[in-house]
Amino acid sequence: MGNRVLLADDDQLLASLLNFRLKKGGYQVHHSSNGKEVKEYLQNEMPDIIVSDIMMPYCSGIELIDYVRNELKSKTPIIIISSAGNEQNVLTAFELGANDFITKPVSPTELLVRIAREINK
Amino acid sequence: MLIPPNQIRISLINAPEFNLEYLWWLTILFFVLAVIYFIGVFVIRNKISSKNKRTKNKKVEFSPMINEFLFYDDSNTKEEKMNYLNLKIQIRELIKNDFDRKVLTEVLLDLRKDLSGNSQKVLIDLYKDLGLHHDAFQKLGSFRWQVVSRGIQQLTTMEVEDAYGLVIKFINHRQSTIRKQAEIAVVNLKEEGIKYFLDNTRYKIAEWQQLKLLDVLRHKPNYTPPQFGLWLTSDNTHVVLFALRLIKYFKQNDAEQSIITLLKHKKRDIQAEAIQCIIDFHFTNAILTLKLVYKKASHDIKLSILDAIGELGTIAEVPFLENLQLTERKFHIKNKVISTLNKIDPERILPTKNIETSEFYNVYFDENDQALVNEFAEDDEETYVENTTDEIATEVEMDSETLEEIDEPITTVDHLNTDNQTEIINEDVLVDEALTAETDFINVALDDALPKKETNVISSTAGLDLSFLPHIENEKTMEEVVENSLDDNNSKAEISSEDDVEQSVEDEEFSFHFLPVVVDEISTKNEIPTFEEDDFEPLFLLNETAVLDEGKENEMENSNEDSKSTIAEIDWSSVNNAANDDNEIVVTDANAIEEMISFKNNHISFSPNFISQKELDAMVLLENIHEMGDSRELELLHDIIEENSSEIVTERANQIIQKFSYQSLRPSELFSEEKGFGDSVFTDIYHRADYETKLMLLDEIMNVGTTKEIQLLENIIESESNELVDKATEVLSFIKSNSNNKLPETFLEQDSIFSVDFELDLNEAAKQNSLDSNENGSTLFDQLCNMSNSLYNKLNG
Repeated sequence: MGNRVLLADDDQLLASLLNFRLKKGGYQVHHSSNGKEVKEYLQNEMPDIIVSDIMMPYCSGIELIDYVRNELKSKTPIIIISSAGNEQNVLTAFELGANDFITKPVSPTELLVRIAREINK
Repeated sequence: MLIPPNQIRISLINAPEFNLEYLWWLTILFFVLAVIYFIGVFVIRNKISSKNKRTKNKKVEFSPMINEFLFYDDSNTKEEKMNYLNLKIQIRELIKNDFDRKVLTEVLLDLRKDLSGNSQKVLIDLYKDLGLHHDAFQKLGSFRWQVVSRGIQQLTTMEVEDAYGLVIKFINHRQSTIRKQAEIAVVNLKEEGIKYFLDNTRYKIAEWQQLKLLDVLRHKPNYTPPQFGLWLTSDNTHVVLFALRLIKYFKQNDAEQSIITLLKHKKRDIQAEAIQCIIDFHFTNAILTLKLVYKKASHDIKLSILDAIGELGTIAEVPFLENLQLTERKFHIKNKVISTLNKIDPERILPTKNIETSEFYNVYFDENDQALVNEFAEDDEETYVENTTDEIATEVEMDSETLEEIDEPITTVDHLNTDNQTEIINEDVLVDEALTAETDFINVALDDALPKKETNVISSTAGLDLSFLPHIENEKTMEEVVENSLDDNNSKAEISSEDDVEQSVEDEEFSFHFLPVVVDEISTKNEIPTFEEDDFEPLFLLNETAVLDEGKENEMENSNEDSKSTIAEIDWSSVNNAANDDNEIVVTDANAIEEMISFKNNHISFSPNFISQKELDAMVLLENIHEMGDSRELELLHDIIEENSSEIVTERANQIIQKFSYQSLRPSELFSEEKGFGDSVFTDIYHRADYETKLMLLDEIMNVGTTKEIQLLENIIESESNELVDKATEVLSFIKSNSNNKLPETFLEQDSIFSVDFELDLNEAAKQNSLDSNENGSTLFDQLCNMSNSLYNKLNG
């Protein structure tokens, strides 16, 4: 069994594409399209790595980082993917505990490399 | 009075009659319309929702297919390859449906935004492979501008280069949205698109559009920009502006003259952009044009020009800016001018607004503290004098690098062993001394004939402050002169500013020949130039602020030129050989009275050599005699020699005696009518004097006059007013009575040619006075000096 990846993205097309690529890369992928689903999933199960978009319904990616780090007290690697790659977002994400930040457009191959690096740390 | 209602028969307002049946019909009509409306909204909403749901489902259906296509590689298994081929067939079947094709196109366009790298490339290839771009081509032929625009955008996003030829015709489309989309497409699709666009566009290029176009160019991989300077001549001013911005962004500095010319453009935007280019590329040649266009430029352009001048300008722009400072009325521009001035020449203009005067900070003391304050003040004054003296002594320092080179050129010259004159100058500066005797000059000259190394060394002395030395003649090259003045109490060094120097050069001349300037033994055997003594004669006036007359000034200039010409002939080889190994040269008086110029420890120091007040007075008197006297002063000169033990004074007096002895005329010549010495010396002064002066002059004639004044007095009696006539008569009678008593003695003296005390003996009292004080001298010259002083004091209060 491969590592479990939680993919949180409300963009169905991109999520599907990344899901496909990650599965093809040997990962076990769980896709959630909004923050509420993500939290529900995390309460029951903790993946090996979280790949999340920032802008999602119910709960943003920044809130998700805060939830994981401060409420769940988890050190699970978190990679943020966002088209809003402004400095403020990036800094906030890293301050709250994100492990990596990827700006859209994203290269699926690059994402795989980054995920593998975070998991293997 | 009110009318009861029952008595009113005709009402003023009648309600209109309405058939109630119509009311019901209208109610039904509105109800039906409302139902139709709501049904319509419901149907349309459902239709849209259905379409969206269908689209979404189609996207979900297409998504795995697209994923398979995007991440397919040759390493896949045979089953995967079969699956890939099946999907390709399946998707081709699907896109035969317009809706499906439209959805697939949307999916690909969406993914295009989110993907990068190889996935993006595969996606674009898939789009073209499925022939979806043909739909975009069809859109280009639509009559609806939004469809055409969308088609162009789609082709641009999917990088369909085949569309370039179709899109360029929209470059000058009248619909701005299509035009802008076409511009971006043309620039994006092909590298030469920007050239076509700049060549052909006739419309305005909006600022935002320029940014988008620049962004497109900026993100083009391996992009080689054309020379955008070629479009600076475009008829479309917006193209020129955009070209300037592209030139600036891509740092193309090959269009200097064109950019400078654009400073004169009528459009402010172009002017401003050209100025920015000039600043970025540091086109210093543009300064003249910047100054030229400044006058008629708008305010913002003026500010930009001042910025440019601040960046590019040198000290040469200061006069222009100072003129602007005086003429500019706009507050912000004037401030900018000042800041530009300070940028070019830091702290040229100091803050003046809201600055308290120094009096504001004055601290007042009571009587008890006043003594203490005075004591401090005296201490400060003494310290100041000491400091200024030290400054002069150590003012000029040469860095070690210069002195390393100066080993050879610095020489020691002893002029006493030769009759030559040596002069200290650099290539531009000539230092002269106004000593008449040939042996009194010490000049160290560095000429052009020196080896190059040595010349460079001497050039480095341009920074030296030689101003305490005698008068520097060359105004152009003289940068600074330190003016030494000796006051009554003590020596005080005063450093004048450069502006003051110019004035002082014109008006004043300082003679420092009384300073002992003699160098150690050195053989300056040959080719050291000599100067005519008269060329360097100093001029002293009674108030120590001598005014150089024009003839004298010309003389000095001529002498300067002569000196320069002769300096080139100096043979420095012999001088250089004489330099000592310790790199130490001391230039001293012949008797080593005081050290004046010293070269020690890689430093050159000049120290002033002040003499006592008595010697100074004697020297002043001697210089005045030298300037205005004649052989009649010989006895006075001998007396001065007896009175003074100073060698400087003695030497100078001897020089003057020597000069007057050779110049003195025979008594017969002296008193001949041609020479005019037979006339009264008061004649000329009298005729130029005012009434009060004439009275004073007559008093003086009475005191010192001789028979020579008789003619003058007789003329006065004949021509002047009563009071003067009375006074003149009195003086005349007094002189005649005196002359009768001393006539035999005078005749005896006239027989003696070389005994020149003929006049001085006429008035022993006056002679005695001259020895006591030069202001009360017994000779005619002394009396004239006294009178001149009196007149001067009177005129100046």
